[in-house]
Amino acid sequence: MEYVRFAVSALCTLAGLFMVTSAILGVYRLRSSLSRLHAAALLDTLGMLFLLLGLIIAQGPRLISLKMLLLIVFLWLTSPVGSHLIARLETMVHPDLGKEVQIDRTDMVRQLREE
Amino acid sequence: MAKIRPDFESSLYARFLKWVRDGSDRLDEDMAGMQADRSMDPSPAPPEQDMERVMAERKVYDRAQEWGSHQGFRLRNRTYSFLSLFLCLSIIAVLLYATSQLPAFGRAGNPAHNEVSERYLEKGMEETGAVNLVSGMILDYRAFDTLGESNVLLTAVLSVIMLLHMQRREGDPRQEMEDLADQTLYEPRHDPILQTVTRVLMPMLLLFGIYVVLNGHLSPGGGFSGGAVLGAALILHTNAFGSSSTRRFMNMRIFQAVTGTALCFYGLAKAYSFFVGANHLPSIFTPGTPGRLFSAGLIPYLNIAVGLVVACTISALYTLFRKGDL
Repeated sequence: MEYVRFAVSALCTLAGLFMVTSAILGVYRLRSSLSRLHAAALLDTLGMLFLLLGLIIAQGPRLISLKMLLLIVFLWLTSPVGSHLIARLETMVHPDLGKEVQIDRTDMVRQLREE
Repeated sequence: MAKIRPDFESSLYARFLKWVRDGSDRLDEDMAGMQADRSMDPSPAPPEQDMERVMAERKVYDRAQEWGSHQGFRLRNRTYSFLSLFLCLSIIAVLLYATSQLPAFGRAGNPAHNEVSERYLEKGMEETGAVNLVSGMILDYRAFDTLGESNVLLTAVLSVIMLLHMQRREGDPRQEMEDLADQTLYEPRHDPILQTVTRVLMPMLLLFGIYVVLNGHLSPGGGFSGGAVLGAALILHTNAFGSSSTRRFMNMRIFQAVTGTALCFYGLAKAYSFFVGANHLPSIFTPGTPGRLFSAGLIPYLNIAVGLVVACTISALYTLFRKGDL
């Protein structure tokens, strides 16, 4: 049982490390800032989830595991919102964004017009 | 933001901006006004006077050039730079020498390991009643120092207010620009995602900040860190719902009242304990049982005062730099 738990926790940690590595690689390799943001968001959500899950499984049912579970909840609540705000600002101010991707800004403007 | 795409005039954002500004561009209006002023100017200066002025200016410029290339001036300049370089290098050398003479880090016989820290570790809990010895130190043994730190925070906000404060006046064009800037798409306050998450997070952030402040004498934390959490929560609220919404519960009057009351309470409470806190005089603030919430004498109350000052300072600094007003 102890071996199984260690194996599962090591597997989770390795998956998290793979996520973190690919995210760092993506941040340096990708060209446009939106795709870089996508790579960085991968680290904040999936990478941290796997790393913390590995730690939780290694710790077993204790108070610190509950705290790490809370950490996952808060990270998943906050960091996607941060990425969303950065992406939103990028779509607002990037001058040549239309050449890289297709933009549909009608939703935002319609919502503002209704207010 | 400074980049403007070539087809800016026909872009969606420019049309939207025009719509927000009621169909007229402020910059265009200004330019039109300036041109109107120039055409209204009744008597342009005669060319002869212009020539005279240009000649006088050139004379002054030539004299400045001559003076700058003068031998004595150049010598003084060179001496000045040489002296400043010498001063810099000698200060660096003295500091490096002094650093090399410092005792090695972590050795038992270092002068930092004297009877003061021993006394804190051995008798701190008994004398102050605080389980968290750091709180016991900064709010009991060295409470006067912490009062000075809180006043430093207040002074920082006061100087920022002196520099940046902008009175809210109706009809002021700058004020109107500010209000318009609140409506643009750059502001995150029209974002339903951010608002929803803020609604979920706000109570937890406030609760956590209050928890850290109140348990300062029991666990790591205290007024400074808990106050920083509370201030960050206020900043998040400003970003999500706009500063006019935050102004309902965090404005200049409330800032003045809370900060002033907290600092005055701190000073009075500490003055009281200066008079009766030693030599077995009877005091209403006793250390109590270490580990209980209501223990450690004055420390929880001083923590609350410091936490309020820090929270107000952080959110006030952010709002002042952002909007020029609380």
